[in-house]
Amino acid sequence: MRDAVESGLTRVFIAAVFLILSLAGSVRAEAVTVKARPSTVEISSFYQGHEITIIGAIPAGHQAVAEVVGPVGQEHLMRKGRVGPLWLNVGEITVSGAPSLYFALSTTPDLLTGASPWGFQALMQHLSLAGKVHQNEMAKFTEQFLELKKSENLYAVWPGGLKTKPADDGRLEVTGKFWLPANVKPDTYKVCLTAVLDGKAVDQHCSNLSVQMVGFPALLMSLAYEHAALYGILAVVIAILTGFIMGYLFKGGGGH
Amino acid sequence: MFMSLYLPISGNAINMLLLFGLGGIVGFLSGLFGVGGGFLMTPLLIMVGIPSTVAAASDSNQIVAASTSGTYAHYRLGNVDFKMGFLLLIGGVVGGTLGVQLIKILRAMGNADFVIKITYVIMLGVIGFYMFVESLQSMRQQVPEVRVAAPSKPSVYARLVQALPWQMKFDKSGVTLSALMPLVLGIFVGILAAIMGVGGGFIMVPVMVYLLRMPMHVVVGTSLFQILFTCINVTFMQAISNHTVDLVLALILLLGSTLGAQFGARISRRLKGDQLKILLASIVLLVMVQILVGLVWPPSILLGFKGGH
Repeated sequence: MRDAVESGLTRVFIAAVFLILSLAGSVRAEAVTVKARPSTVEISSFYQGHEITIIGAIPAGHQAVAEVVGPVGQEHLMRKGRVGPLWLNVGEITVSGAPSLYFALSTTPDLLTGASPWGFQALMQHLSLAGKVHQNEMAKFTEQFLELKKSENLYAVWPGGLKTKPADDGRLEVTGKFWLPANVKPDTYKVCLTAVLDGKAVDQHCSNLSVQMVGFPALLMSLAYEHAALYGILAVVIAILTGFIMGYLFKGGGGH
Repeated sequence: MFMSLYLPISGNAINMLLLFGLGGIVGFLSGLFGVGGGFLMTPLLIMVGIPSTVAAASDSNQIVAASTSGTYAHYRLGNVDFKMGFLLLIGGVVGGTLGVQLIKILRAMGNADFVIKITYVIMLGVIGFYMFVESLQSMRQQVPEVRVAAPSKPSVYARLVQALPWQMKFDKSGVTLSALMPLVLGIFVGILAAIMGVGGGFIMVPVMVYLLRMPMHVVVGTSLFQILFTCINVTFMQAISNHTVDLVLALILLLGSTLGAQFGARISRRLKGDQLKILLASIVLLVMVQILVGLVWPPSILLGFKGGH
């Protein structure tokens, strides 16, 4: 009888602890907020990249890391190697687990360097390579992959790139800026802000950054992919007409 | 980036004036020499940040415009041998189809890249060097530029050509040849053009000059005529199968190139055949050296995106 009562009390106690913890969790979730401004970027004819501002808030006394991450997928790459005196593509390497875009900013530089859970070192641990690559070359080609993405302006870190100041509600307001490059693909990107205490993540909040193609570029893409034959004919006809018009204009212009 | 324009198929923003300038230079050479300029434009576009597959396909599209303008200009000047052009074109289409199949087999074997690059270096090197030396000797000896008449002492090659069946007179070029000659040479150029992914003008011009013995001014017009049809086919096929034709990119390039082609066609009439040949030879050799350096120089990054991006 006594055992049954004790067992019941234990269950109630455990349930109460779970309730308190989950409530505390929801309060903490609100302690970190983030949004990208603008939250939607439109790629139109004169798009040449866009400056994005990250605006967020973290609890007072914390540090922060902001990450902008693209969808994770596979990248198919060609490995260059020496064949006699020549450097040629010698085989395919597939990289899995790589986000299409990776930017990271932090309030203090040490959060994105060394063995930190953020930045390139952390990202490398999520990548796996397959194809024409030996086990002892994995680290070298993982680094080469990061170099390639950096050269395309699609991977970058800015240690110390986040600024903080006290907010009215007692928290810390966090701001950071980065340039979204022109070669970024239309997609939905995650902008996440992590509150850090003693080098460990204590809370995180994410919002979306949407990149959409609009206007003439969008029309052209839909023509090229959905009406490929019409697009091909159009490309040829426009080229021929332009050639004739230019020829005719020059004939009229004289000079010979 | 001042005056940048977003190119949706390339997926990047590039300076419009830069593209217009590139188009102008290549178009000028196209009108001057009767070459499509694919062997020049594609590497230049890749250098300014266009993915290689998009560069090659969009380049074909702009060559359609440049060669229409150039062919039209040369047609007005009476420089197009349509009879020869059609025979070369038939050969070129057959050769191009064979070349595409050959590349498919080589890709499956894994050494297509090696074959393509070595073919580039060898072809550009041999043609450039031969044209350069021949033109230099010719200029030093001050031999008259027009070489319409058959050599006084028929060589083994000339006798072989005369012995072939289906002899045909080509009035515009002023030569009598077997119809097999342009057909077979067209196939040869078509195979090489497909392997190298270019219109083949820079191979076709020497073939017409040295093997078909056509006068230089007719060579230029006829070569442009043949390139026009080859590039129409390539543009259409690339648009359907690979979606790599960037119309915006092609339009800017073709505005530059059609303007350039007109200037080129006019200046080509003022220059002597040997001067034209030595200029083309120098450019061909420069491109060859650039490709060779790219092949021998260790790359800074040992990985590249498959298919150019």
